[in-house]
Amino acid sequence: MGQEIKHILSKGLVRLISIGLLAVGFNQLYTTYFLEADLDDHGPMLLELNKIADTSDVIYFGESSNFTTHPDDYNTLRISDNIAVKHPNYSFGTINHGAYHVGMFLPLVKQVQTTKEPKTIIVTMNLRTFNQDVIYGPSEANLRLASRFYQPTLPILNKVFASLNHYDNRSGHERDLLKWKAWTYDTLVSTDDSVHFKVNTIRRWCEVPKFLDSAGVQDNAKRQLADQYIKAYAFQIDDSNPMVQEFDELLQVAQQKNMRVVFNLIPENVEDAAYYIGDNLVWLMQTNRDFLVERYTNLGATVVDNLELLPSKHFLDRAVIPQEHYDAKGRELVGLQVAQVL
Amino acid sequence: MFSTLVDFYAAQALHRQKIKWRRNILLGVSLTANLGLLFAFKYLVLFLPSVDPMIANIYTVDHPFLGFLLQGVYFSIPVGISFYTFQTLSYTLDVYHNRIEPEKHLGHFALFVSFFPQLVAGPIERFSRLMPQLKTKHIVSYARFQQAFRLMLYGFFIKMCIADNLSPLVDAVYDNPSNYAQWSTWFGTFAFGLQIYTDFAGYSLIAQGAALCLGISLMDNFKTPYFSTSIGEFWNRWHISLSTWFRDYVYLPLGGNRVSLIRWVVNILAVFIISGFWHGANYTFLIWGAIHGMLYLVERLINANKRLPQTRLVLFAGGIAIFISVNIAWLFFRIDSLEQIPEHVNALFHTEGVQNLTLSIPIITMLFTFVLAEIMTYNSRFDQLLSKLPTAVRWLIYAGLFWCIAAWAGVTNHPFIYFQF
Repeated sequence: MGQEIKHILSKGLVRLISIGLLAVGFNQLYTTYFLEADLDDHGPMLLELNKIADTSDVIYFGESSNFTTHPDDYNTLRISDNIAVKHPNYSFGTINHGAYHVGMFLPLVKQVQTTKEPKTIIVTMNLRTFNQDVIYGPSEANLRLASRFYQPTLPILNKVFASLNHYDNRSGHERDLLKWKAWTYDTLVSTDDSVHFKVNTIRRWCEVPKFLDSAGVQDNAKRQLADQYIKAYAFQIDDSNPMVQEFDELLQVAQQKNMRVVFNLIPENVEDAAYYIGDNLVWLMQTNRDFLVERYTNLGATVVDNLELLPSKHFLDRAVIPQEHYDAKGRELVGLQVAQVL
Repeated sequence: MFSTLVDFYAAQALHRQKIKWRRNILLGVSLTANLGLLFAFKYLVLFLPSVDPMIANIYTVDHPFLGFLLQGVYFSIPVGISFYTFQTLSYTLDVYHNRIEPEKHLGHFALFVSFFPQLVAGPIERFSRLMPQLKTKHIVSYARFQQAFRLMLYGFFIKMCIADNLSPLVDAVYDNPSNYAQWSTWFGTFAFGLQIYTDFAGYSLIAQGAALCLGISLMDNFKTPYFSTSIGEFWNRWHISLSTWFRDYVYLPLGGNRVSLIRWVVNILAVFIISGFWHGANYTFLIWGAIHGMLYLVERLINANKRLPQTRLVLFAGGIAIFISVNIAWLFFRIDSLEQIPEHVNALFHTEGVQNLTLSIPIITMLFTFVLAEIMTYNSRFDQLLSKLPTAVRWLIYAGLFWCIAAWAGVTNHPFIYFQF
């Protein structure tokens, strides 16, 4: 048996070395002829980053809040454009893609080359992405696939890992289960004497009748929107939140690369949250905001707190869903706030 | 664990018990426990309006206990329940018929039920074949690792490069058949046949390779089924471990072919419909099984009346006919509900869609490679084929397959199709 193992090791070693050499050759071939097509399909923002990273003083990492417009808008400038017009001396680059969050921004920031000249990155911080509905959302597996392609390793290795589903690729079924558990069992705790939760889970809160008329009949449209607000904002951020951990790492990576980091905490429709649900939900939004601002200011980032910047009228989807899509004035106001700290 | 314990102790008691009615009760306990679990987890949904966890909230409000049960069923379906249930059932039935002695060691029996390479999607092994191997002392061997590596390499190739690349094309056509040009609809429909084959056969080869590393030889589950020239031959080459299971534990106990013609027809249809039902709680699977049953009956009746000469032309024509029939039947397997059938069939013959599927050069290259490999492995296996080739050619094939897996494999997340069963 000992001899057989020796035989296996000696033959195996030759084969491992051959496979290693083959892998190097394959990587070169793949990077030259096939990588771009794969990135086009699964990770287009890396191609974009490669185009702008060297020439930009400031890079804005955003999602749909940056580029969503309305036909009635007086202009179609994005938030990043609004920042850029205030600083004509800086060259600006924008990386934005719908539904992206820190999980995609982190590997992209890792891919920005370290330079002698200080660079500034502005990273969108969306309060809603810290909730269970996003963390366990149906599009998360696809986003994590893109994130796999953004990792700063050998491109062919990224491809192999992506093919082997080596990323957070939990199925919709698994994510439903986790979300359902979180909504059922994660309890909300008040740390303020003036705030009392009569029901302390998302599920129970959603089950409470809302907008009853004199006959005891619910206004269904309003009730559904109210429940959306609960699902979007009734949570409490702490160190264990996966998005917090990724923001921590992003900040650390950027600081090591001699970059200045600005987190743009984008506005939420606090006015409607108060109208549809009430002060308890607003309290949760504010305490979460305070947690993020304090944490990342202490860690050396600049946090632009825009959470309560905009009244409800600037939110494009306010009649349908709580979402961070703003009209032209809204985008301009957010841009102005960020521009002031550059 | 529940299945393991029930079958272990039921088999022990069956072996000791000599009185027939008591033996029948013990067998009944085992069958009820196993099939009861299978029914609760897989088939309850067929009789209930919905178990979507969010929709199930409506039950929570009106019927809290029912809501709780539904959510429990929805969230905790054990992976591979259909496979290991059948494996343990065959054990109990074999003990009942005195074909085997029951296992006395609970640990060994638990290993037989849960041997990891084949736990989630087969091959469904028989006790008499697997257990002696599990008890044998195995010595590390280079030749065995080499064989295992070859099986797994080809398994990964057909799963990751063929099945996973076809999957997005198939999904696109099945989701919106009328959007696609006619050739695309036909291609997407037939591509599912190829997808499900490469997906499942790929898994089986990987399982065989993984088991072989541990010294265990699992049975072959597929033998180039699309080269079959009759439906009977197709079922001798497709999912062999399941079709032989149904033959031995359903068809033969029903009387096999030693019954009247009417009874035989009923038996055949029953076996195929049950095999469809085994796949899941959807009428579409029943229809798929029934189509295969009818194809089999028609074939047997034609052959019984006038046996066709086995010329090359006849065999070739038979092969084409079987390939087309089997792939059309897959349509019922792939759709989610019968309401989708009219749109899909209409799109196959009268589509006004203009979208075309795009087949990249890598996909076309890999499909050709796969077809070539299938032709060369007709009646043999990939590892056996390689062992006959010179070293340089073998290494060229390794390099080619490695390249395909590394650079051209599909990337969107496609779990093995048979994991859902």
